Amino acid sequence: MDNYHRQQRVNTFLVPLLAVISGLVVAAVLIIFTDNSPFAAFEELFKAGFGCSSLNRCAFFTTLERATPLMLTGLSAVVAFRSGMFSIGQEGQFALGALTAAWLGFALDLPPVVHAIVIMLAAMVIGGIYGWIPGVLKVKLNINEVITTIVMNEIAVLFLVYMVNFPLRADRGTTAYSPVIDETAKLMIFMPGSKWGMGFVIAVAAVLAVYFYLWRSAPGYEQRMAGQSSLFALFGGIRNDRAAIRGMFISGALAGLAGAIEVIGVHYRINQDFAPGLGFTGLSVAILGQVHPFGVFLVAILFAGVGLGAQLGLQINLGIPRELGGTVIALMILFVAAEKFYTDGISGLRERWAHFRGQKTAVELAMEEKK
Amino acid sequence: MEGDLFTVALLSSGLRLATPIILAALGGAFCARAGVLNLALEGKMLLGAFVAIVATFYLGNTLAGIFVAVLLGGLLGYMFAFFYLKYEVNLIILALAINLLIGELTVYVMRVLFGNVGSWSDPSIQRLPDFEIPLLSSIPIVGDILSGYNFIVYFSWLACIVGYIVLFHSKFGRHIRAVGENKQAAETLGINVRRVQVSAMVIAGMLCALGGAFLSVGHLSLFTRNMSNGLGWVAVTANIFGFQHPLGVLLTGYFFGLAEAFAVRIQNVTDLPPNLIQLLPQFATLAALILVALREKANLALIRRRFRRQLARGEMQTPVAGD
Amino acid sequence: MANAVELRNITKYFPSSNVLANNDVTLSIAEGEVHALVGENGAGKTTLMNIFYGLHQPDSGEILVNGQPVEIHHPDDAIKLGIGMVHQHFKLVPSFTIAENIMLGIEPNQYGMLKKKEEAELVRQLANDFGLPVDPYARIRDLPVGMQQRVEILKALQREAKILILDEPTAVLTPQEVKELLAVVRNLAQRGRTIIFITHKLVEVKDVADRLSVMRGGKMIGTRSVAETSIPDMARMMVGRSVLLELDKKPATPGQVVFKADNITVTDASGLPAVRHISFSVREGEILGIAGVSGNGQTELVEAISGMRPVEGGTFTFVDKDITRRSVGERRKQGMAHIPEDRIKIGLNLETNLDENLVVNRYKLPEFNRLGFMILSAMKRFASFAVKQFSIAAAQPGEMIATLSGGTCRRWCWRVSCLASRSLSLPTSQRAVWMWAALSLCIGRWWMCGTGRRRCC
Repeated sequence: MDNYHRQQRVNTFLVPLLAVISGLVVAAVLIIFTDNSPFAAFEELFKAGFGCSSLNRCAFFTTLERATPLMLTGLSAVVAFRSGMFSIGQEGQFALGALTAAWLGFALDLPPVVHAIVIMLAAMVIGGIYGWIPGVLKVKLNINEVITTIVMNEIAVLFLVYMVNFPLRADRGTTAYSPVIDETAKLMIFMPGSKWGMGFVIAVAAVLAVYFYLWRSAPGYEQRMAGQSSLFALFGGIRNDRAAIRGMFISGALAGLAGAIEVIGVHYRINQDFAPGLGFTGLSVAILGQVHPFGVFLVAILFAGVGLGAQLGLQINLGIPRELGGTVIALMILFVAAEKFYTDGISGLRERWAHFRGQKTAVELAMEEKK
Repeated sequence: MEGDLFTVALLSSGLRLATPIILAALGGAFCARAGVLNLALEGKMLLGAFVAIVATFYLGNTLAGIFVAVLLGGLLGYMFAFFYLKYEVNLIILALAINLLIGELTVYVMRVLFGNVGSWSDPSIQRLPDFEIPLLSSIPIVGDILSGYNFIVYFSWLACIVGYIVLFHSKFGRHIRAVGENKQAAETLGINVRRVQVSAMVIAGMLCALGGAFLSVGHLSLFTRNMSNGLGWVAVTANIFGFQHPLGVLLTGYFFGLAEAFAVRIQNVTDLPPNLIQLLPQFATLAALILVALREKANLALIRRRFRRQLARGEMQTPVAGD
Repeated sequence: MANAVELRNITKYFPSSNVLANNDVTLSIAEGEVHALVGENGAGKTTLMNIFYGLHQPDSGEILVNGQPVEIHHPDDAIKLGIGMVHQHFKLVPSFTIAENIMLGIEPNQYGMLKKKEEAELVRQLANDFGLPVDPYARIRDLPVGMQQRVEILKALQREAKILILDEPTAVLTPQEVKELLAVVRNLAQRGRTIIFITHKLVEVKDVADRLSVMRGGKMIGTRSVAETSIPDMARMMVGRSVLLELDKKPATPGQVVFKADNITVTDASGLPAVRHISFSVREGEILGIAGVSGNGQTELVEAISGMRPVEGGTFTFVDKDITRRSVGERRKQGMAHIPEDRIKIGLNLETNLDENLVVNRYKLPEFNRLGFMILSAMKRFASFAVKQFSIAAAQPGEMIATLSGGTCRRWCWRVSCLASRSLSLPTSQRAVWMWAALSLCIGRWWMCGTGRRRCC
C-alpha cells in the first residue's frame, strides 16, 4: 500500500522528466536534418537561453522576462483546473487585460506607482469578469466551459484587433499600434538590456499566493474539493457552484494581469497580434507543471528559456530555424500528456524487476491476502 | 459595378472563404458525433496547407499535391486517435499540443527546405483551376454565385450532403452516432468502438487537410507561417453553431465565410471597421449556445410546473406502500 | 440435462483498485434452466458475468459453452456463441428509436445504406413472437424503465441468444413491472432459453429460479436446488453466518420530536417525481428505518433531508427550526450528519489525503480555520484522533485515500460521520444484511451516548 503511494510520488516527477527528455531526443533528430550536431546545438541553446556571460548581457534575465506571462497564464489555468473547470479562456482574458492596460496606460493621469497598480487592478477585474461569464454559464445553464471559452477567445481577440485598428490607433501608419503608454504606468526594470523587472516579482508573488490560496485557505480547500469530486463537496456542504465561479474569476484575473504586465512591463503598446498563443502556452505550462503553482514556476522558465535559446542560439548562431524551440515545447506537452505511456512502462519494468528477483506478482499477492 | 461588389461578388467570395471552414467543421462534426471533441482542426488544416504546396512543388502536379496532403491529414488524424485511444491523453491538451506542434514544425521544415523566409512560393506551382458548371453557369445571377470555383469548393458542398446521408442513413453513420451517444451500448453489441472513432478522426483529418490545401494551392499559391490564421477555430465554432449536423455546418460555415468576405470588402471599399462584422457570427454562436441551454432549462421547468400543478390538484396517484 | 455453460477456476484481479473480484470461481449452468446467481454487493457476480460476456478478460480460468472450450475476447464473440446480457444499467442510445437500438450492429442494409422500414418490421415481428409488444418508432428517452428493459431483452433475443444473463433486472422496477418480468423469464425458459438471473432478492429466487449459486467475497460458496433450500439458508450462505436479527440493546426511551418532515415532495434529476407527500417525525434517541426497494425514492429523500437536493413541496423542521431552504453546510452546523448510500463516490474524495477528507463537514469550525486559513496541524491532529478512535489499521494521517481498500473507505466514511452529531441519516438496504447489523451496533452506541453532546461513540 505504502509502496503504491511512493510510486505515485515518484511518477509525479519522473513523468515530466522523461517527457522533457523524449522531447529533446526528437529535437535532436530534427537538428540532424540541418547538418548540425545535436550536442553542439543543445549547448548553444542552453547558453543562449539560460547562460549569463556578464551581468549586462545576461540571457537568463530575458528568459525570466519572457517567463513572466507564461507563469501568470499557467497559474490561471491551475486555478481553473483545480476548481473543476477546464477553462481554455486564458487567451481571451490575456488579450482583454492587455487592451485594458494599453488604454489606461495613456488615458489616465496618475502618479508613478499608483498608475501601474490601478492598471493592473483594472486588468484583473476585466479579465476576471471575462472568466466569470463562462463560469456562470456553466453553473447556471450547464454550457460546456471549453466551448464558451473558445468562442469568447475569438471574440476577445477580434475585439482587440478592432480596438487597435480603430479607436486606439496611434497614427495612420502602415501597421496599427496603440499609443505608447505614459512613463508613470511603466513597471520598474532591474537590469538594463532586458525587460526583467517588477513584473517578474509580481508573477513570483502570484505563484506563492496561488499556492497559499489553494492549499492553505478555506476557499481554496472548497475549490479543490469541488474540482476533484463535486459529489463529495456537495455532501460536505461546500457550495460547488460558488467555488467554480470563484475559481473562474480568479483564473480570469490572473490571465488579465498577465496581459497587463506584458504591456506595462515589456512592450508599452499593443499591436493587433498581441495575443500570440500565450494563453494556450500557459495552459501547457500548467499541464507540464502537474497543475501545481511551483511546477508552473519551473516549467514557465523552461519554456521561455527554450524559446529564447532557439531564437538567439540556434537561429542566429547556427542557422537552425527558431521554430525548433516551439516544436520541442509542443512535443514535451504531447509526451507529458501521454503520461500513461510512461507510467505503464515504469510499472512494467517494476513488475519485471520483481519477477527477476523472484517476487510474486500483484495477482498472486492479492490471492494470498484473501486466503 | 460598385453595386455588384456588394451583391454577387460578395456572395461568391463568401462561398470561397467558407470552403476551408465548411470542410474542417464537417470533420469536426464527424468527430463530435463519434463522441470526440476535436479542437485540433487548426493544426490539421495548417498541415494540409503546407503539405499540399510542398508536394505540389516536388511532384509538379497540383492534384497529386492535394492528394498527398489529404493522405497526410488522414495520418495525422490517425495519430490523434492513437494518442487519445491508446494512451488516454486528454483530448483538449492533445489538440492544443498538435496545433502548436504543426504551427511550429511547418515553419521549421519550410525554413530548413527553402531558406529563411516567412512565406514561400514557387513560380512552378499551379493554382488549382476554376471551372464553370455547364448548365448552372448560364443561369444569370445564380450561375455567377454558384459556379466558377475550383473543385474543392464544389467538393465541400457535396461532402456536406454526403456526410448527412452517411451519418443519418447509413450503417456506418448510425454506428458513429451510437458510439458518440452511448459508447457502452455500442460496445456491448459488438461494435468496435475504437475502429469507429479512429475512422471518424481519420475522416476529420482528411477533410481538414483538404480545407488547408484549398488555402495554399486552391485560393492562393503560396504558404505563409500560420496560414490557417485561426480558421480552424472558426470551424470549431461553426461546428458548434451548426449543431454537429453536416447540413447545419454547411449553413453556418457559409455564414462565417460571408462575414469574412464582408470584412475584406468593407476594408477595401470604406473606412468602416471590418472586424466588427467578423464578431457577428461569433456572438451568434454564443447566443445560440445560451438559447439552447435556456430551452433545456425551460423544458425542465415546464415538466416541474406541470408536476406541481398536478400536485396542487392532488391528481398524483400515490402508490400504497406494500402493494 | 447437459451443461450449457461451465466457468472453471475463473480469477480476476483489478490492479488499479487492488480488488480480487473473482477468486477461483467455478460455476456450471444446465441447459434450459433459470439459474439464480446471488450474493451481496461486491461479491463478484457482475464481474463474473462481464467476463463471460467478454467485457473483461480473466487472469486465469477457462470457459466452456455446450461442452466446448471457448475464448471470449469481446462481446462480439459472446454474441456469436448465443450469449445475451441485460446489464444492470441499460446500454441504450437515448435518442435512437426502439428499432434502431435493437438492430444496432445488425442493421438490414443494402450497400451500407439502412433499410429503416424493414428494420421496424423485423422488430415488430420479434416482439410479437415473444409476446413483448413495443412500438418500434418510439424513442428510448421517452420510455419508462420497464419498457427500456424490455428493449434490452429483445435486443438479446434478436441476436438469437440461447443463454440470457439478467444482471439485477428487478432493482429498478416497480412491483407490477417485477411481476411481469418474472413471467417473461419463465416464459423464455419454457422456450428453451437458459437464463442466468443475478439478484440479491431471495424471494425472487424462490419465485423464478430452478437452482441458485451463491457468491461471497469473490468466491463461489456453492450451488443448491432452489426447491430444497429455504430463504434463511440462502441468507446464511450469502452472509457467511446466521443473521443476527435481534440486537442486544436497552429499550429505547425516545424524547421529544427533533426532526419533522411534512408533506415532502422531491423530483429526481430528470424532473420526475421521486418522493410524493411524505410525512414523518423522529424523536430524540430514536432510530427510524425507511425501507424499500432501491430506486423508490429513498436516495432522493435522504438527499433532500441532508440538503443536497431541493424539495418541490413540504417542509423539514429540525430542532424547532424550518430548515427546508437551508444549505448543506448550515444543516451540518446545526448538527445533522449524513452517511451517503455510495460511500466511496459521494462520501470520499479519493484524490486527496485523509486529513482533508476528514474535515470536509467541519472545516469552517474555528478549530480548523483561522481567518479563512486552514490550520494544517489541527487537521493532522484530528486525523490521528480519528484513526485512534476507530482503530482503523493501515491508515495514517496524510495518507492518500486512494491507497486504502474499499472496505476501509466505507468504514471510514460512516464512522467519521458518527463523530458529527444529533441526527444521522443512514443508508441501509435489505441486501447488505451484515452491514446493517454492524451499523446497528454503531448506532446503538451512538444512541446510548445520547444526543446532547457533539462527539459520541
